[in-house]
Amino acid sequence: MINKFIRSLENIYKKQIVHKQIIPSKKPTFGSLEKPLPKIIQEYLLVNNLCLFVHQAEAINKIRKNKNVVIVTSTASGKTLTFNLPVFEAIYNDINGTSLYLYPTKALTNDQLKVIRDMETQTGITANSNIYDGDTPNYLRPTIRKKSRIILSNPYGIHYYLPWHYKWKRFLENLKYIIIDEAHVYRGVFGSNVAMLFRRLLRICEYYNSNPTLIISSATIANPKEHAIKLTGKNFDIISKDGAPKGKKIFIFWNPSFTDSTKITRRSTHQETKDLLVNSIENDLQTLCFTTSRQMAELITRWAKEDLNKKSPALSARLTAYRAGYLPNERRDIENKLRMKQLFGVVSTNALELGIDIGTLDSIIISGYPGSVISTWQQAGRAGRNEKEALVTLIAFQNPLDQYFMNHPQDFFNRKNEQAIIDLHNPYITLGHVMCASSELPLKPTDVQYFPELFLQSIYSLEKQNLVAKTNRGYVYTGLAKPTDVINLKGIFQNTVTVTYNGKILETLSVNKAYDEAHLGAVLLHQAETYIVEEFNLETLIAKVRKEDVKYYTESKKTVDVAISERFQEKELKIKVGLGELLVTEFYHEYVMKTYDEIIGREKLDLPPLTFSTIGLWILVPEDIRETLSSMRLSFEGGLHAIEHAMIAISPLFAMCDTRDIGGLSVTLHPDTFNPTIFIYDGFEGGIGISETLFSVISDLMHKTLDLIKTCECEFGCPSCIYSPKCGNENEPLDKQAAIILLERLVS
Amino acid sequence: MPIVYTCKNCGIHHSKSQYSESRSCKKCGNLLLLQFVASTNNSENLPNNNFLREKTSQNEFLSTSIKYSSFKRAARNISNETIKHKEYTIFSEMELNKKPEIKEKQWWLLQIEQEKALNLKKKLLEKYRNKSLEQAIPGEIISNKQGKFYCIDSISNLEFKKIGYRECENKILSDLKILSGIGPKRELKLKKGGYSSIKDLENHPLWKRTASNFVDLIRRKDIGRLQSCLWKSLPKSHPLLHYLAGLNNAEDFAIVDIETLGLSERPIVLIGISTIKNEKVLTSQFLMRSISDEPGAIWAFITRIHKNSLISYNGRSFDIPYIQQRLAYYGIDYQINNPHFDLLHFTRRALGNKLENCRLETVEEHLKIGREINIPGALVPEFYRSYIETGNAGPLVAIVEHNKQDLLTLAALFLKLFEEWNN
Repeated sequence: MINKFIRSLENIYKKQIVHKQIIPSKKPTFGSLEKPLPKIIQEYLLVNNLCLFVHQAEAINKIRKNKNVVIVTSTASGKTLTFNLPVFEAIYNDINGTSLYLYPTKALTNDQLKVIRDMETQTGITANSNIYDGDTPNYLRPTIRKKSRIILSNPYGIHYYLPWHYKWKRFLENLKYIIIDEAHVYRGVFGSNVAMLFRRLLRICEYYNSNPTLIISSATIANPKEHAIKLTGKNFDIISKDGAPKGKKIFIFWNPSFTDSTKITRRSTHQETKDLLVNSIENDLQTLCFTTSRQMAELITRWAKEDLNKKSPALSARLTAYRAGYLPNERRDIENKLRMKQLFGVVSTNALELGIDIGTLDSIIISGYPGSVISTWQQAGRAGRNEKEALVTLIAFQNPLDQYFMNHPQDFFNRKNEQAIIDLHNPYITLGHVMCASSELPLKPTDVQYFPELFLQSIYSLEKQNLVAKTNRGYVYTGLAKPTDVINLKGIFQNTVTVTYNGKILETLSVNKAYDEAHLGAVLLHQAETYIVEEFNLETLIAKVRKEDVKYYTESKKTVDVAISERFQEKELKIKVGLGELLVTEFYHEYVMKTYDEIIGREKLDLPPLTFSTIGLWILVPEDIRETLSSMRLSFEGGLHAIEHAMIAISPLFAMCDTRDIGGLSVTLHPDTFNPTIFIYDGFEGGIGISETLFSVISDLMHKTLDLIKTCECEFGCPSCIYSPKCGNENEPLDKQAAIILLERLVS
Repeated sequence: MPIVYTCKNCGIHHSKSQYSESRSCKKCGNLLLLQFVASTNNSENLPNNNFLREKTSQNEFLSTSIKYSSFKRAARNISNETIKHKEYTIFSEMELNKKPEIKEKQWWLLQIEQEKALNLKKKLLEKYRNKSLEQAIPGEIISNKQGKFYCIDSISNLEFKKIGYRECENKILSDLKILSGIGPKRELKLKKGGYSSIKDLENHPLWKRTASNFVDLIRRKDIGRLQSCLWKSLPKSHPLLHYLAGLNNAEDFAIVDIETLGLSERPIVLIGISTIKNEKVLTSQFLMRSISDEPGAIWAFITRIHKNSLISYNGRSFDIPYIQQRLAYYGIDYQINNPHFDLLHFTRRALGNKLENCRLETVEEHLKIGREINIPGALVPEFYRSYIETGNAGPLVAIVEHNKQDLLTLAALFLKLFEEWNN
């Protein structure tokens, strides 16, 4: 059926299908345990016809020897069972033993609780398993803390419960296992915060004399062991032999065709997605379509339904959208209907990328490269788990990264997955958590084991601000507010602006974000509603908005100034590159109003410039190329600028990050380097490790940048290579030819 | 949040008006940058002039890749944010009248109260300049196995005349509904049948066991068990729960109130306990001269309350869990399980509709108790901070006075409520 469908696609859409890759099926490999499980657990496996795959057996063998393990296998390889067997064994053997399961989202917690409770019923081992998170009603909380032996929660919750550890005494004293599922999600700013949180948790465990074994699972990242170690500060054994079976997969790369002869504009990715989705459903393929935004998930669903209504209305009702904002029972309903094959099509954000059980689908459409190789494989993994063949289609956007892969499909299939980056050195993150820790137990010199890098500096600066006081029991928190109210896991500690609507708080943004999205006149999107900012008060840090339905959106334009405040490292390749601390100053001078990509108006902004200090790298471009270029009537400045844009665009290939997390600047002469210079820096106060990673692969990065620009079919540059949607200079000047010549010189 | 505009080049601060006049530095003409600064009265906390480009010479801090100055800046940012997240809100009287719902929920104070308090602080700082703690607040240093602290003892003129044992016992025993399984209808039936008190039920064929168990608890004055028994059938504010206190001797009570640096997770700075002897109220207050005193003072509190019944205002939700959290914080394994009479519940029931709100200050006005020195509880952290920063004991005088008055008001309120039940 799938083959027929693909043949028909190939006939109609010859131009669009730029690559077809067959991923062969794989037979399962099984393993065995070194010592048998308790009888009732063995029976459970038997009744459910479960044999242990090699990775499951290997992991359980290690876990039973109290070794911390990190399990790196694909979606649906039975990770849950790997956790549950040793946990249930421990509960069966030790009448007090407890285990804590941590998931990055509430939806996953709900999904897993079902599985665990089911296992309780089937084995007859009572664990009183329960979820304990923000949704848990107050009247249930004391009982869960007192009775449950398996508790499922999320990092946000733990952050708030830690100061009340005495109420968790029973649970913590007997804690045997901590399970950290989907650990690859804990990366970047969020991950760095979570890493500090786990240190706080382990510190409290030590206080209650428990030394839980850590079981971490992660999607295939390039650095699982390092990631696990950084995340928790403990050592790990890695389990990566994947014994689960896989069905044959056909992976198609789909590039929307050009709509004009100049080869600058391609057909809309969203329309193309919608067409393919409708087509798949009509051909009886149960299809899951991933989009990059919530808005697109809704829109593509609406368009596809309209199409289906015209042709086959019965199918239209079998299609729905799915995203994080839905109510839990709505989501549960969709998941069930997917599993029962009652739904033929679902359009989802990456919310369905994580391990929620929705069964196996026939066809996956990935509308736009999801930003990382890992995510792409996670999403593709939603199809073809059994012997059945499955189809995966990646439809490209017209941006540099997507187009790079369309032009270099083999690079995608040969590529190792990205590294998950965590930064343990960001003072804004560590300081906040050291402060939280000081409110949980007095900080003592021995706590250096949990906060090794920064203990001295943190304590000293916190004490200076009267946030901690030295006592003969250690350092005690004395700040004016509850530390957990001040520090949140999603952000880096920064001054925040509060957005209010009718006197009620709508959301809070960091000052930098607020400059971007909540300045006077800005159109602020909040849960699909549009609001206009009427007042932006820097002294009170409050932005007042009114609700108004407008058809345009706003983009603020900024220019940037960079100063090097400290040099950490310099490398001499063909050219000089350096890494260090930068002081970045951003000037927000105007904003534009746009409908679809068209500018319909501009307004001046009157905001004092913002500064922050961060980590960045710089590339010194030899002065002599300037003359070569001018003799060829090419723009040196335009070349530098183009390289900066393309380099930022391609960075997610090396560091798992969003291009919005990176900033850049190119100048023909910089006062700190006395040279033409290109800067790339982390867009967060204090830095988050992106530039450091890029610095370590700098020559690779430049090669790939050259490749991207060179292979793009456009003549003078386009959104697929050197145009950047967030450029403060409106993509002026840019010179594609100059960029190529420059880069060739730099990497030759 | 106060803002200064700092020159990018030389680091000199400019005011907002200077910034509006010209966007560049007065001295060197360079650009002005936006900086947020901590809003404390303490000039020490202002950023020093050129922290933007500060180079540190301390080699020990250079071992990591990030400069120490980033830490200082991060700490300053966090400090700013803690000020923004402080737990109380200041309202003008007008705002308070507009939003009656805030009265019950938040930790709030009136603008005018704040102004008064800050004035008072100024006066006290003046008055106690160059005086030692012992001169400002007579007391003595006491030590126990958990540490040292400063103890202040006093006796008040208030006569604590407790309601009689018999009266309370009769009140409680005549309500048959206390026993689980007896509702209003059944009570009526039983009373008609001649069973007018729980004691009578000891002869009832069906209720014999339950009744005699209950009477036994009364005889043994097991207040703790009786309380949990009554909670099953009555709301926490029910007068009978208060009458339960009448079973105690006056000597068996401990009135408690703590002063803290926040609503949770911060040190306690003063613990006040009043006990009764010969109808006189004896008050002991355990003061932290520095945060190091906290474990010792908490331990003294535990020893002092012994098995007494606690009297507090919102202590069930605040003071006791707070102390419990601090015990765990210092690794002291102890569970406070004393019987507890939280007068807030009773006050809401008895006086709620007569009072504008149930803050203790308002109750005092109603009881016509005046205060010489008063600071709103929400300002205790600021007063204590001034003491720590200056070493001047003046602000402590206000905290100690405020706490002592709270304890005495509670004693008076405890007695007054019995009158109210009779009305």
